[in-house]
Amino acid sequence: MLRIRNGKVYDPAHNVNGEVRDVCIADGKIVADVDASARTIDATGMIVFPGGVDVHTHIGGAALNFARGLIPEQHRKATPIFHSPERRAGIIGTTPTTFATGYVYAGMGWTTANEAAVPVLSAKHTHEELHDTPIIDKTCCVLMANNELVLDLLENDEHERAKEVVAWYVWAAKAYGIKAVNPGGVAGWKWGKDCKGLSDVVPGYKKVTPSKIVAALAQIADDLKLPHPVHLHCNNLGAPGNASTTIETMKVLEGRRAHLAHLQYHAYGGDDWFTMRSAAVEIAEHFNANPNLTCDAGAVLFGNTVTVTADGPWQHLLYQLTGRKWGNLDVENETGCGVVPYVYKEKNVVNAVQWAVGLELLLLITDPWRICLTTDHPNGATFWRYPEIVQLLMSFEFRKEQLKQFPDSTLSRMVLPELTREYTLGEIATITSAGPARTLGLTQKGHLGVGADADIAIYNESTDVAKMFAHPRYVLKGGEVIVEEGELRKSGLGRQFAVKPQYDESIEDYLRPLFQQHYTMSFENYPVSCERVHGLEVQPCNYCGTPHR
Amino acid sequence: MTTSVMPEPAKRELTVVKNAVCTFCGCVCDDIELHADHERIVETKRACNLGEAWFKNHTAEHLYPDALIDGKEATVDDAIEAAADYLHAAHMPLVYGLSNTTCEAQREAVWLAELVGGVIDSHTSL
Amino acid sequence: MSCTLGEVKNRADFIIYWGGNPAECHPRHFTRYTLTPKGKFIPRGRKDRTMVLVDIRETMSAKAADIFLQVRPGKDFEMLSILRALVKGQRVSPEGVAETGLKLEQLQDLVNRMKAAKFGVLFFGMGLSMTRGKHMNSAAALTLAAELNAFTKFVAMPMRGHGNVTGADVIMRYTTSFPFGIHMGRGYPRFNPGEYSTIDLLVRGDNDATLVLGADPGATMPKPAIEHLKRTPTIVLDPKVTHTSRLSRVHITTAATGITAPGTVYRMDEIPLPLSPPLKSPYPTDEEVMRRIREAVQRKEPWYPVKSDAPQMV
Repeated sequence: MLRIRNGKVYDPAHNVNGEVRDVCIADGKIVADVDASARTIDATGMIVFPGGVDVHTHIGGAALNFARGLIPEQHRKATPIFHSPERRAGIIGTTPTTFATGYVYAGMGWTTANEAAVPVLSAKHTHEELHDTPIIDKTCCVLMANNELVLDLLENDEHERAKEVVAWYVWAAKAYGIKAVNPGGVAGWKWGKDCKGLSDVVPGYKKVTPSKIVAALAQIADDLKLPHPVHLHCNNLGAPGNASTTIETMKVLEGRRAHLAHLQYHAYGGDDWFTMRSAAVEIAEHFNANPNLTCDAGAVLFGNTVTVTADGPWQHLLYQLTGRKWGNLDVENETGCGVVPYVYKEKNVVNAVQWAVGLELLLLITDPWRICLTTDHPNGATFWRYPEIVQLLMSFEFRKEQLKQFPDSTLSRMVLPELTREYTLGEIATITSAGPARTLGLTQKGHLGVGADADIAIYNESTDVAKMFAHPRYVLKGGEVIVEEGELRKSGLGRQFAVKPQYDESIEDYLRPLFQQHYTMSFENYPVSCERVHGLEVQPCNYCGTPHR
Repeated sequence: MTTSVMPEPAKRELTVVKNAVCTFCGCVCDDIELHADHERIVETKRACNLGEAWFKNHTAEHLYPDALIDGKEATVDDAIEAAADYLHAAHMPLVYGLSNTTCEAQREAVWLAELVGGVIDSHTSL
Repeated sequence: MSCTLGEVKNRADFIIYWGGNPAECHPRHFTRYTLTPKGKFIPRGRKDRTMVLVDIRETMSAKAADIFLQVRPGKDFEMLSILRALVKGQRVSPEGVAETGLKLEQLQDLVNRMKAAKFGVLFFGMGLSMTRGKHMNSAAALTLAAELNAFTKFVAMPMRGHGNVTGADVIMRYTTSFPFGIHMGRGYPRFNPGEYSTIDLLVRGDNDATLVLGADPGATMPKPAIEHLKRTPTIVLDPKVTHTSRLSRVHITTAATGITAPGTVYRMDEIPLPLSPPLKSPYPTDEEVMRRIREAVQRKEPWYPVKSDAPQMV
């Protein structure tokens, strides 16, 4: 039992906005009250947030691990974590090791993360990495929009069966949601091609188009009552002028739920790299008008990183642009992935526009419940740089300082200089915790109401926002004090949330022969068994069509 | 999947494992059907000659001592303590191999190398 | 530029094996993954694929090949470099070509075929990665495949042997960032192949104890390395009493992976597979023994300074 006394509490889900009050904890949950014998943390002069929830990150699995292997020279310069009785050794850097990932997230006050791109074929590998990612709770989304068994069904308009197959795959992977990456484009990449327009027919098919795939998967997520809508990485990522594709995608969804991942990468105007400019205004306008949608920023910060995505064709383009290393890994029937180390430079106009667009979307999208703070870790920047973004969002003056480094020719491509909005602490709590938890449909996360998981971050209130959010004074996970006096004191294993959507078992009779034809693994060895997922908790599929709020 | 069948009245009951995984080479074929009595594998359907030799080369018999310390038979408990003593006392111990073993053991190997402040390395470096 | 083996099965119409003898070392590679199976986009199986073997001698695998190219021993890097130049349409010197033991027409034909392929794959074996040039050869093979992607779809992949060495690679990468040759002596992972590689350590005599798991270096390593294993305390975990066990201070018999021990192993394309052992071992598993050794070490005084009030890991 524990009482956090006299903190300034921010709990947007309950409209608590900086009130000084106590938060009580028993058995890992928030409770109404505890008796006098409970341990007390004096939070006078501190602010109390629900633990951070990352709606879109790449923290484990084949693709990220491939990236780790590609950049030994970066690890050498990265911050190490020393082995001690309470923690395992590791390296932070752009692709932190699994143990480092857990410690660093928790050390910042973030207690839940959604691994956003998992091929079913290597889901066992992802779960093993997530098992070794301590402290934080995890969910993951499986890649479905280029799965050839699903595309074949959509080609023949067999939607009902496609739904069953998707449901089977989700449970086979012990996943939490459905991810769609460059729908149709990655399947095309298997032939070295792409799918840029929403009505382009996917290479190798006669009828299937990206828009068909998007609409079908969004519908399937709704029909299966998944707590999290289809997690959508739109077509045409990173390309100048791609805002039109993104807006068209919003129209294709026709009011169905969807979460648009790393929206920054899909909000560019212009015709080519020389004329590329921000289209954040248009994107935000359409987004604001579509209450069925949520998104995450996918913001970019300047510096060294490595880009990892299932979007193979984009990565090949990036390799051609940079001439640096390139890794590609195609996964049979399901997806692909590309890895390219990358440096975002202030002096590069395209990078400067990308940096601005991420912030612009965060400032132009009016409802903080519908946009989550992310960097598409490690693509836009590593997750441990989130506090830098918070600082930019909270201070117009600070942004003005930053903008001074750009010449007028660069500034004319963005709207950021005109945006005076400053985030409040309550809004920060919304985009870092309450909003993403609600978007994920994790009802026990992102708030401090009775019954919620006692995942709490306590910060020394300070005007230096970046420092404050990087170094919480206390962090609690499931009621356990993990960080105390700013030091990581304890490390436990986190849980993994999955869903078991309803499907007819007979779908296996349909899948088994197809497996023998198309896969190189036995059907029986393919699903991840429950025993292999440490701390597995099956969440209900009970989305009932109520709007986001 | 494990099922028991009685092939012929005269023979002993055999355990049949379908979709078994062969770990001999990097192909890691997972479509092998193994038939085993209590002690040894008697049939390896779909395995190649290397796989068959591998499966039949190991049995459930107690052919070797549980442990040896300085060449003399010892208990596993004592051998584990002796191993821990040597590794702990060393300034720069090496954990090597990691080929013919499971990922679960490999995870432990990394942890052990960390604890003793040593080197960990696999066949790959050869 | 890699892929899972199913991609090869379903799509590859052009397959190169370089410096490997799958017919004898990976017997089912041809039949299960690459050459003979019918794939989703390869309806006629073997008939729809062309296979080229590059090796220094005509092995059993050459029988299965459509084209066999015999490269002069130690000239793989030169041949790869010439191919890379030809792919880009650059001029190559006749002396350079002559050194490889092959004719320019043969190399040009290979390049034409690689470019004309719809989906090409290059498997490289230890004949490439473990001979003169070593990792430079692997890098050249990977670069060749990467550069071919300007023309068509092309991937490259090592032919890994040795059971679950791929799993070791995967696990070390996610726990330490590095695939092998990792030194934890400063409390965090450092990577320096050549300095922290087993052979180098043993030959120089740098390490002062060795735990051997799932390997038998006593049977394969050079004499000075074996001498060092003998001289210093060596601990072996193995299902049998091996050459290395005989020169070690401690041997512990363990259950055999996949036969009597359950767990996970990785295929050469990094796909994990669950083991279902048919037999019950009278011996403990590697996992159990390793865990118990680790726990025994944890009970001892750490080698690094620790604050006395520091809590214990849960």
